[in-house]
Amino acid sequence: MTEVGMGEIKVKVRKIKRTRRENKYKHYPIVEDNSTSAHEYWEPIVNTGLWSIKGYQVVKGPWGGGTVEESLRREPKEFMVIDRAAFALYSHSYGLVSPFFRGLLEGKLKGTKCPKCGTVYCPPRAHCWNPKCRVADCEWLDLPLTGVIHTFTVQCLAAAPFEHQLPFSMGWVKIDGADTTLAMMLHISPRELFIGQKVKIGFVPKEQRKGDLTDCYAVAVPGQKVPDWACLQKDPKELESLEASMKQTIEFIKKRYGLDNSLKVRGW
Amino acid sequence: MAGDERVAICDGGIFRPDLWHGENAEEGVAIAYQELLKNVPNLTTDDIDALCMSYFSDHLNGQLCMGWIVQDYLGLHNKPGYRVESGGSTSIDAIVNSYYMIKSGMFDVILIPGWEWMCEVDVATTNEMIASAADTDWDFPVGGYYNAYYAALEVRHMQLYGETCEDLGRIAVKNHNNSLRWPYSQWLSQHGKAPITLNDYWKSRLVCWPYRVLNTAVMSEGACVLLMATESKARRFTDTPMWIAGVGLGTDSMRPGDRTVDFAYEGMKDEAKIYPDFVEPIKTPYPDMANFASLHIAAKRAYPQAGITNPLRELDLIELFAPYDGVELCLWEDLMLCPRGEGKTLIREGIVEYGGECPSNLSGGLTASGHPVGATSLYYTLFLYWQLAGKINEKCGPKGLQVPDARKALITGHGGTGCQGAAVIFESD
Repeated sequence: MTEVGMGEIKVKVRKIKRTRRENKYKHYPIVEDNSTSAHEYWEPIVNTGLWSIKGYQVVKGPWGGGTVEESLRREPKEFMVIDRAAFALYSHSYGLVSPFFRGLLEGKLKGTKCPKCGTVYCPPRAHCWNPKCRVADCEWLDLPLTGVIHTFTVQCLAAAPFEHQLPFSMGWVKIDGADTTLAMMLHISPRELFIGQKVKIGFVPKEQRKGDLTDCYAVAVPGQKVPDWACLQKDPKELESLEASMKQTIEFIKKRYGLDNSLKVRGW
Repeated sequence: MAGDERVAICDGGIFRPDLWHGENAEEGVAIAYQELLKNVPNLTTDDIDALCMSYFSDHLNGQLCMGWIVQDYLGLHNKPGYRVESGGSTSIDAIVNSYYMIKSGMFDVILIPGWEWMCEVDVATTNEMIASAADTDWDFPVGGYYNAYYAALEVRHMQLYGETCEDLGRIAVKNHNNSLRWPYSQWLSQHGKAPITLNDYWKSRLVCWPYRVLNTAVMSEGACVLLMATESKARRFTDTPMWIAGVGLGTDSMRPGDRTVDFAYEGMKDEAKIYPDFVEPIKTPYPDMANFASLHIAAKRAYPQAGITNPLRELDLIELFAPYDGVELCLWEDLMLCPRGEGKTLIREGIVEYGGECPSNLSGGLTASGHPVGATSLYYTLFLYWQLAGKINEKCGPKGLQVPDARKALITGHGGTGCQGAAVIFESD
């Protein structure tokens, strides 16, 4: 038993002794299992109770209706604020497009093609969305590991699971031969990054692959010149200001996570 | 037959949006409802035929069926009522649903309580929970959240049509300074009364290039209630009913990356006349990862109902659902206030400023005045109601941005990256 919580309120965490995780797919064989450790990690947390209250604070703040000024004129009230955690681990099927994600594990990019209109989808669709094709079943094909940047952004603030990777660029890449565009990380310096840039798709080392889109990333095909119309670089002031923000972000990440995310260390 | 009558917005009430409130959601809604009852002294609970609850997230508060709590808290739990949910579109869809319910002839008077309490989890988690409205298999796992999606859409639009970061800054300055004239504004509460300049814009923190903090929607807790009724009932509640003159809905692909083969919008190639030579053409040029086809088609459906042929000239003001400033610029194009690619001209020439031909987001909008999702479009509809009723100065004091003789207004709302949207046109007598 370990205790977690704050102040007077402690919650007992039961360690789960289980050699085999719950088998949701009783009637069907599990061909590959790469998630038992995830369940071992999550289940004790889940078992602290979805809605059990872990602690509280009392906050003195404004109250009541009306305008900003009216509410600030009132004597503040004290509000009790509780902390309550909710967790869940979802076992979600990638469905009929599972071959795409298993392809990532092999370092391959797969797409689908509609036999009627010929549209090539990457991200793949199991069924064609062209209204003329009446939800036709699509066929699988292998795609090359090359493409073109359709659009991009450079993030200096990110959602929780990506924060430690800041600053980074992500964007949508039109894989050669495909008609749709695929979101992925771009390992390209903002100095070089532009719409229309030719890229190669790389993969993280095999043992680190998880069968999701973070297994792959795009790098620039060397030797391309940034065109003078490129929106990020055409105003040098803008690029400068972005780089200053990236520098601040790198310092913040170093302080918070002890990670050196400078472009030099990352190699891009 | 009730369904033949016009449908009106008959006032409402606000519990102002802010980063945090001590009151919880049902209390906030009750405070907004108190204000409605004060504004409409003739309204009794017997008048209300049904409720349409508007809130977007179950995750943010860890409470399913929050609508039941609110309906019971108001003592209206003997009435028919259900919840509408469609991400950022939730609150405009609650208005559209109520309009259809009244038009069906089944109900005469509908109360819409809307709210969102977005700050119970920390901001990073709120961002993640909102991002789960994006495709969690394909877009979320690669560093994706809405700041990034919308930034990438704006980068593409910027590359195609040449607006600059300074144009985005001008929109940010316009909206924040407008919001100082609206006394319920969240920016006013968080920042105080000092206007901002382009210089402040350049200094504000970069979130996802090209968007800075001042370009992005705020996180809010807040509530708003609206009262909607048939013409004959509306006359009992208000002397200045705001009529719903046109309603259009539209949807687009879940993943913005699929909009390069957006077959459903294939017939709109004429919208893509300005497509620069240096960018390789794609299979369907509209909307691309740049514009918002869902709102374009929504407007195309709504304008003829309201008899609008030249929106820039005929609309006296507009309130656009723009969680990021580039969205406001793109929507001017998609709503046909200007040709595709010309959004930048409207901000550069002051056409969308107060005093311009078609002021946009005089309330300050989502990036300044507040964005409690389930209440958002109700809050801005109420702003338009007070505009068309000529009551802005009564509500805001002499500094309020009343558009003189405002008769026709438009509001939009949308969810996701424009995955679903609506345009509603209002007019006064």
